[in-house]
Amino acid sequence: MSMPPEFEKAHTPRDVDLNAAGRGVWLVKVPKYLSEKWNHADGGEVGKLKITRSKFPGQKPDVVFSLNDKLVKSGDTTQSPKDHKMVLTGLGNQNLVVFSETPPMITADSGAKPDHLVDKLGIEGKVIQRAECRPIADNNYLKLKRLQVEAQNKPKREVIQISEVVNAYKPISDHKFNIEHQQKMKNEGKRLRDSKDVVMERLFAAFEKHQYYNVKDLVRVTNQPITYLKEILKEICIYNMKAPHRNMWELKPEYRHYKEDERT
Amino acid sequence: MATNQPQAAAGASGSATQEHSVRVLKDHRKIYKMMKFSSGNELDFVKLSETPVRMERENNFKEYKTANDIDQMPKFGAGSEFGREQKEIARKKKYGIMMKNYNPSDQPWLLKIGKNKEMKRYKGVREGTITENTSYYIFTQCSDGAFEAFPVEEWYNFSPMIRYKYLNSEEAEEEFSRRDKTLNYFSIMVRKRCRNDEDPDKVDEEEKNLKVKTSKKSSKDLVLTDIDEWFDISDDEDDDDDENDEEEGDEDSKKSKKGKKLAKKVKKKRTAKHNSDDEAIEESDEGDYDDKEVDYISDSGSSSEEEGAKKDKYEEKGVDEEKGLRKLNCSEDEESDEEEKKEEINEKEEKSKKGDESESSSSSSGEDSDIEKDEGLASAIFLQQEAKRNSPVPRSDTPSSMETEDKKSMKRKLEGETSSSKKMRTDSPSVGGSKEGISESAIRRYLMRKPMTPKELVQKFKSKKLNISKEQMTSTIAQLLKKINPDKKIINKAMYLSLKSN
Repeated sequence: MSMPPEFEKAHTPRDVDLNAAGRGVWLVKVPKYLSEKWNHADGGEVGKLKITRSKFPGQKPDVVFSLNDKLVKSGDTTQSPKDHKMVLTGLGNQNLVVFSETPPMITADSGAKPDHLVDKLGIEGKVIQRAECRPIADNNYLKLKRLQVEAQNKPKREVIQISEVVNAYKPISDHKFNIEHQQKMKNEGKRLRDSKDVVMERLFAAFEKHQYYNVKDLVRVTNQPITYLKEILKEICIYNMKAPHRNMWELKPEYRHYKEDERT
Repeated sequence: MATNQPQAAAGASGSATQEHSVRVLKDHRKIYKMMKFSSGNELDFVKLSETPVRMERENNFKEYKTANDIDQMPKFGAGSEFGREQKEIARKKKYGIMMKNYNPSDQPWLLKIGKNKEMKRYKGVREGTITENTSYYIFTQCSDGAFEAFPVEEWYNFSPMIRYKYLNSEEAEEEFSRRDKTLNYFSIMVRKRCRNDEDPDKVDEEEKNLKVKTSKKSSKDLVLTDIDEWFDISDDEDDDDDENDEEEGDEDSKKSKKGKKLAKKVKKKRTAKHNSDDEAIEESDEGDYDDKEVDYISDSGSSSEEEGAKKDKYEEKGVDEEKGLRKLNCSEDEESDEEEKKEEINEKEEKSKKGDESESSSSSSGEDSDIEKDEGLASAIFLQQEAKRNSPVPRSDTPSSMETEDKKSMKRKLEGETSSSKKMRTDSPSVGGSKEGISESAIRRYLMRKPMTPKELVQKFKSKKLNISKEQMTSTIAQLLKKINPDKKIINKAMYLSLKSN
């Protein structure tokens, strides 16, 4: 019941870095197409966030996110909408905390060695504001949506008319593994009967390792013809007819001396 | 909060617009995950800077193994099978079973805050579908005012781990249903206590009853309820000596009935209260109802002890059953009236017979009219005597006793009888007269077949749709029963009558 070492590592308790726990962060819900664009952006700036505070105190500020012009046109689909309104929503009574996991990685600073063996864990801050990034609906957005819907409704399989017969495989007179097997059998030749003592020696050695054997396996292990082997097996072994080790041979009790048997 | 308050750069005017650039870093090593704590959980990591906070993945490797039957058997030595694992894999492949590998990073998080005994544990289970159609980003403000966005990869719902035992929904359901039952236990205990208080009196009374009975009838079984008393009494009605006693008994029972009714009413009220607010009752102590008990006892006036005992006896009986009993009792009262009536009728008969005879003698031309007249007279006298002697004996028996009489008078007599029986039918239920359906033999048959309560018996006849009122039927049956005098046995507090087939 031992566990592989890489599993062991994941299950060891790790200290959590609480240094950044006080930081307040925003949690922003972003539509899928926008997040794809952001991922495609080669780092750096993706857009601007305009925050307009109203004259009257107590009112929510107006937040608008506008995507970079470069990103608007990028991608395989058509233009995506540029401006997005950030709808600020409250947290309710949810307690949302961000934490991070840093997997071990070879960095330039620490040379060839990873800086830590196990994943580092740290609290990254507390969510103080939730926001939803909603596109301001314009023609571009509607077009995008239309394309999305069309793509979704496209059937996955289509009927294509074929003019010729398509053969997926070539006919073969003899399969490769058949040839291999025959070759092997030829090389080995017929199994010859060894003297009884030798066979018994081999059997005892095999039964030392495991308690139960199938006849086929024993044939392979001892390399004896099956009839001869069965004769010997009947002498020193019991054939199990019932459930847990059905159709398997085991040594008669007087021949066994398993250490674990004595222990249990 | 200071971090994401935009610096007021253009500030002077009322509505200030600020622009921040948003950056998404390409090569972030950190994987951001969300911790969502259940509502009302005031866990603040800022305050926990001193206490050690540790996290780990829950180790479910063992469970995984047992669930998938891996490593259940020893690989070597005793109990091991040669090539078992390979065979198992081959077998699974054959049936297309895809084994999921154990992935430690798919296991829930365990968050441990504090040390040893004060340790708080949380378990964070991954929420799957939240990032399916949208993506979430975390916006943090850098020192230069720009925002950095990091994608949130996974969500985990953290909830405190409960260490103490609690009822799962099914168990809670069971306990809840038992709640009412325990209440009933309580009321049962109260009742039991009351009974114990009154027990000695009851025992005394019963002993007395037993003595009286045994002196009268030795063949009877042990009798426990009042119904039997009545039957005894009604059985003994023939004896004139007992009449006074019996009347007293009747009166007694009537009184007791009154008392019982009162008690019942009080009881009903109480049970209603039981239902309405059970908590209050649960809290109540022993002597709480003492004053109330005194209330109804004092209401009923005399012989309170006896009443108490009687009330106790009747507690277990249903209301309808009781009604039936009352009817039986009433029928007894009627009986004496009937007897009187019978005698009257007999007298009438005689008169009518005499009249008849005088007529017949005048009309008949026979020589032996005188003799006949004499005989008729004699027979009439004889009849009267006979009637007096065995008044409760059914009429149908009388003709056999008058075999010696000649046919004419017999005929007349029969005529008179039928007429009188007709009269009786209209007036009151006949005594032992075989009504349509309700006959001695019928009752005998029923009782011989299997033991029955009087109520069941009444039910039997009721189902036959006879044209008699309920009271009449019960009274008839009661009287017939009296005559038959079946064996009585009390099973489950109900009296069963039975007859042995001879």
